[in-house]
Formats: sequence, structure tokens, C-alpha cells
Amino acid sequence: MERRRVVVSGMGTVNAAACGCVDFAQALRQGRSGIGPVSVFDTALYRTHLGGEVRNFRPGELLPRGIPRRHMSRCDLMAMVAACEALGDAGLDPLPQALRQAMGVVIGGGAGGMLECEEVYRRWLEGGPRPSFAPFASFGCAATADHLAATLGLMGPKTTFMTACSSGATAIGYACDLVRDGFAEVMLAGGAEPLCRITYSAFNALQAVDAEPCRPFDKNRQGLNLGEGAAVLVLEEAGHALRRGATIYGEVLGCGVSCDAHHMTAPDPEGGGAILAMSRALADGGLSPRQVDYINAHGTATPTNDPIETKAIKALFGAYAHRLAVSSTKAITGHTLGAAGAIEAVVSLLAIHHRFIPPTLRHEEPDPLCDLDYVSEGARHREVDIVLSNSFAFGGNNTALLFGRYREGGHRDV
Amino acid sequence: MSDPIAISGIGIVSPLGIGLEAFAPRLFAGDCGIAPLTIFAPNEGGPRLAAQVDGFRPQDYLRPATARRMDRLSQMVASAARMAQDDAGLPIDAGSRDHIGVTVGTCFGGTDVAATFGKVLFGEGPRRVNPILVPNTVMNAPAGHLAIELGVRGVNTTVNHREVSAETAIGHAAALLARGRATAIFSGGGDILSPFAMTVFARFAALSPGDGKEEGAFPFDKRANGLILGEGAAMLCLEPLSRALARGVRPYCLLAGCGMASSPAPPTGWPASPEGSVLAMERALAAAGIEAAQVDVVCASASGAPALDRLEAQAIAQVFAGSRPRVVAEKGALGEGLSSGAARAAAMALSLREQRLAPVVGLKEPIADLDFVRKGDAEKRPLRYGLLNGIAAGGTFVALVFKALEEGEGR
Repeated sequence: MERRRVVVSGMGTVNAAACGCVDFAQALRQGRSGIGPVSVFDTALYRTHLGGEVRNFRPGELLPRGIPRRHMSRCDLMAMVAACEALGDAGLDPLPQALRQAMGVVIGGGAGGMLECEEVYRRWLEGGPRPSFAPFASFGCAATADHLAATLGLMGPKTTFMTACSSGATAIGYACDLVRDGFAEVMLAGGAEPLCRITYSAFNALQAVDAEPCRPFDKNRQGLNLGEGAAVLVLEEAGHALRRGATIYGEVLGCGVSCDAHHMTAPDPEGGGAILAMSRALADGGLSPRQVDYINAHGTATPTNDPIETKAIKALFGAYAHRLAVSSTKAITGHTLGAAGAIEAVVSLLAIHHRFIPPTLRHEEPDPLCDLDYVSEGARHREVDIVLSNSFAFGGNNTALLFGRYREGGHRDV
Repeated sequence: MSDPIAISGIGIVSPLGIGLEAFAPRLFAGDCGIAPLTIFAPNEGGPRLAAQVDGFRPQDYLRPATARRMDRLSQMVASAARMAQDDAGLPIDAGSRDHIGVTVGTCFGGTDVAATFGKVLFGEGPRRVNPILVPNTVMNAPAGHLAIELGVRGVNTTVNHREVSAETAIGHAAALLARGRATAIFSGGGDILSPFAMTVFARFAALSPGDGKEEGAFPFDKRANGLILGEGAAMLCLEPLSRALARGVRPYCLLAGCGMASSPAPPTGWPASPEGSVLAMERALAAAGIEAAQVDVVCASASGAPALDRLEAQAIAQVFAGSRPRVVAEKGALGEGLSSGAARAAAMALSLREQRLAPVVGLKEPIADLDFVRKGDAEKRPLRYGLLNGIAAGGTFVALVFKALEEGEGR
């Protein structure tokens, strides 16, 4: 049986730096950061006040007419906006009736409807009149996929992964397998994450947050900036996309998933799990390390992640690690947790499609433990064929995705 | 022909007992795990009953250093996985540990820990919160803890999609194994009872007795008036059949196919049409390469939520229009454990090996003409294929097809 290949034929995103992929490509090329004061809740009592917030988010203006918004959380709405953009981009708006049975959705979640539920919970704890529990209909992160499928009338496979900061990447990897295995022709896959008080205070309590804009791989990095947003990809069986003349941004070549089995919040100092995830993604795609042009790093800018990720890349890529471009776009978007893997999948595909490598912002003072080419001078315009995108999470969950320019004969190592 | 996926080990922490030796006799006897809630105070005017796990001692299964970092759910999931490993005789060593994976399904995960964390956040302010709680607030905590406990670095994912999380995690594991992404996977799920979950379900009027009459879980029964919440965890050891046989282990059964579908539904509600459930079952049968008439037993998702039970009864009648499989529904004994799909998969594996079925607890007057298993029923036929349904509010459907080992297969 011929191997089924999976391509990306549409993309959509909402994040702190941009609304829509056209805007996002520009933000990435210009190094335009979306990190600023958080306003979705009052940060006065918190230690830090910055974040990658989606400002002036007006779903009513962004969504096509006829898309219901009732019962949807901010998180669901960001995903809905991204999904509608992706479908329009893929030439699947309106969605052909005949495709609905063969089309499903897999979302990587995070806090889901937490932002809205926090307000209910606070009033519940204070006692007094019983607050309305209506927001709890959208509490779990499953609500996002449920809303997308119900609104679009999808009858294919539907599920939600929650592997914390790697959720979005895990969702894309699984959706890719569903298409490869013939369980669907087209899948919507991505991630969504809202800023909320619980997450914001939790990361502050772990002292993982920088009070200033974050500096991935920089010697003076202090931690991450939390962000929010959503990204949704249209994954499509290659023949299906070619037959209908769709624009192909690139191919999902492989996915690798592993666990550190080391500590719940601290990464394995040897980067063992990270190496396993990256090498599995390469093996899944049948590529060798030196075929990779660019690594979109997890690069959270925490003191521990960046040197360990660097060490893992060096362990896997050997001397070639120094000839690779590695950048973290989290200084542009903030760390969007459950959405990060999906937003960075969009970054990877934009890099391939528009032939550029996005920069690592605020990487100024080199750290001897972070000694790779982090593209600190600004976006680099050049051919980009193969991109590896890393997502590492609490719980030791690691996922790496491998994307490539679509070539009829595939990417064989020569 | 590719290597079939086998269930070679089972671990369970359930309201019917901890460990298979405690669970199996009570399951087949038709015992009920539902009793007055005692692990925390019931809400005033709220339900009094629950299917709670009693007598669980994590220290019997876990290393003290890891157990004390875990929340109750992680302890249950990790303990169940440890039991499954022992049952399967699966060695975990330097050579194998990178290829052994974990897929866990959970509906509420560490939400009760997040609620505790939030109590301080909203009561005393963000600078007073306890960082120790943070790792257990995330849904993937059980899978992460379990990987640390067993030292396994293979594929590791957590499915978090309402009441079908565990079924999805099991189907996902089978696909990962078929693709060669792991050599063995601990797969299943769990959820725990918490005041938080109890309150949310009560506020959505999902709990028995919704009609103010008799409190209890009555799947497919005329008295059905809402669900009874339950808790527990079950983990299966899944691996290619040849690998289990090579170790001299006789698996319980095979996992032959998985089908998934979605169907538009109101948020937290059930779809009006059984179409999604029918699609999932048909897709699972197609994946297993069998006809509906070959299925001997269906394990239903019915919980005593009247709309769900009616929907599923219709779907089963439609898919099995030309045949009459036996029907079991274990939520009458286990409660709606949210991730009870894992415990029900364990029950199905036991049924196919022991050639015995568990009676539907809580069923007196059926709402549908299906061949429900009742107390005292003699087995009518050999059990070769079993289909397990998972149905979640919001319109998500997963069906799994299990196959008994053939004579001579697995010695």
C-alpha cells in the first residue's frame, strides 16, 4: 500500500503578536513582539505584570457571519477564529458537505474556560448569592474541539490532548497519524490557551516568570512570559489536497513523543527526553539530522530550559548543531503553553513557505552554555526546507514535530 | 499480516475492589460499588451516594518518595500501572524503558488540586499560593508521575476529552503500537471524586435523583434519573501479541479495532440523533475487519442519564439490527467514573478470557428490547468479539473492538 502523506493546506492563528497568518508572518520577519501589560485580569497583586495577551480581541468582527458564539470561552473563541481563518485559507469555506464525515478535529488544550470559571469560583468561595455556573459548560479544554466540530458539523474523529506545554504539538502529531492511517482525509489540528489567574499565579509561584520581557538563550534570562492564543492547521492527505488544487504550505514529515521520567517540573539535566523526541521525529520522517535547516526551539527563556535544550540539540546534531539556525519565537508571542506547539507549527510552515528564519528577540549577551546560532540579528531570508519544532512540558512530556517543503518524491537523504 | 495488539496485563483501583483478584468476583457476581459518600461531606441537599474507592493504600504499590509527591488520582493511576506491569511480567530495564509508553485519559484530572490552589489564590492573594501544588494541577500529572515511577521514557500522552478520555487513550495506544512508536504502552485512565466535580455536576442537574425519586444508577432502566459519580483508575498493558507470547505470557484478549466519531451536540448535552454513535461503532468494526453480526457482547456507556441511555439503545439497535449481542452496562455498579472506560475495558478483557459476563446492576425494567445480561443468566454462547462504547457529552464517540484469543493462540 502506498504510504499516505500529510500536508498542511491552511493555517490560522490569533496571538499576542498578530491576528492572522499574514500579519503573523510580518511580525516574525520584523521581530515585532506582542508582550506587554496583562489586562484580561488585574495583576496588581501579582509579582509580575507582563504577558503575551491578545489585545482588542473582537471575535464578533473576526468571525464570519452565522458562526454562533454562545457558551464559548475566550479560549474557544480564539480557536474558532483561527479555525475559520485556516478553513478559508485552505479553500474549504464553505465546507463541502461530502467532506464532513471524513473530517475531524484534534485540539491541544490548556486552561480552557478557566478564565471565565475563575470569576464564578471566586464568588462561590465568597458565599452569598449562588453564582451562575453557565461558564462551566466550557470549563474543560474539550469544549474547544466540541464547539469547532458542532459549528462545522464535523463527523470524523474528535479529541483533546492535554500534555501542558506540548499539547498543541501532540495534537498535530496525532491528527497527522489519523490521516496517515486513513481514519480521516482532512483534520483540523491545533491548540488554544487563554491567560488566566490560576496559570499566571502558578508560574509565578514556581518563579519561572521574568518580570521583564523574556530573553531566550541570553545570559541574563530570568524566565518566561506567559502568553495566550490559538493556532489551527488544516492537515490533509496529500493526494486530496493536490486534486483540489490547494495551496500547500508544507508537509508534516514526522512526530516524536517522549517522557523525561525525571521530575514533574524540572527538565532532565541531560536532556534525555528531548533527544528522544527529536530523534524520533527525524526517524518518523526518514531524515537525518543534517537535513534540518532550522529548529524552532522550545526556548522558554527559563534558566534551566535553554541550556538543556542547547545541550540536547548538540548531543543529537553533533558538530552540525553549530551550522543550524535555532530560534525561539516565544520572545515574540510569549509562552502560550497548550497553544505553543501549534503556534510554532505555524511559524515553522511560514518559514518554509516564505523562505525566512524568524529571529530570537532580545538575545544580546551570549551564555557559554547556550552557544548555538540563535538568529539574534533579525530575520534571515534564505531557503528553508526542513524545520524541527520542539515542545517540552511539565510532567516531562516532550513532543517534536518535523515539517518540510512539499516535494513530490519526498526528502531523501543524498 | 501485522502483529495484533494484545492486552497482556491489567491493574485496577475501583469501587468494586483494588486489584483484579478483588475486582473480578464482585464484578461477575453483580455487586454494586455505589454506597453513601463518606470520603468528604456531601453537599447540603445534594446527592448522598457515590461509587467511591475504599481501602486504597498507595504505599502497597509505589515507592514512598514518589507516592508522596502525587495527588490521589496520580497515586491511583500509577498503582494501577504497577499492577498491570506485574500482571504482564513486563521487564522495564535500561534496554526497554525508552520504548515503553504511557497514554492516560482523564476528565477532571487534577482539577480538585487546582481548586485547592485557587482557594488560596482568591482568598489570600496570588503571593500566598503554594508552589508544591502546581505540578498536580495539570491534567498530565498522572502520566508524568507514572513515567517517573516506572522509569519509562517512551511516548507519553494524556487525553482530556470528557467521559471518553480513557477509551480514546486506549485506542490511541493501539495506533501508536501499530505504527511501531512503542513496544508496550500502559494505557487507561482515571478520575477521582471531589467536592468540586460533585458541585459542577449537581449544578448542571446531571446527578440522580433528577426526578426527586429513588437515588441510584439505573442504566437502561425506566427509573433512570441521572448518574451517580464514581472514581477509580484502570491501566492496561498493551503490546504486540508476539512480544507477550515470546515472554510466555498469555494475554487476556486482543484489541482489534478503534472507531471515533463526532456528532453535533449542545455543550455538555447529548446529540439528538444516534448517528455519531452508529458511525463510531461501524468504524471500529471496519477497523477490526468484522461484521456487526460477529459481535457477541456490547459494553454500553449507559450511566442512568435518561437521554444518554435512550440514544445509546437506539444506536445499538441500529448497528446490530440483524443480530442480538448480549449487552452489559457497568456504570450501574461502578458509577459514572468519567474515565470508567478503562475499568470497563478491563472488565471486557476479563469477560473474553473467563467467558463470563457481568449482569447489568440497577436494571429492573428495561427501556429497550436489547439482550441485557441479568443476574443468574447462563452464558448463551461463546464470547469471541466484544465491542465497548464510549460516549461523551458534547457529542464525542469512541468504540473499541476486543477479540478473544483463539484456541491454541497464546498456548
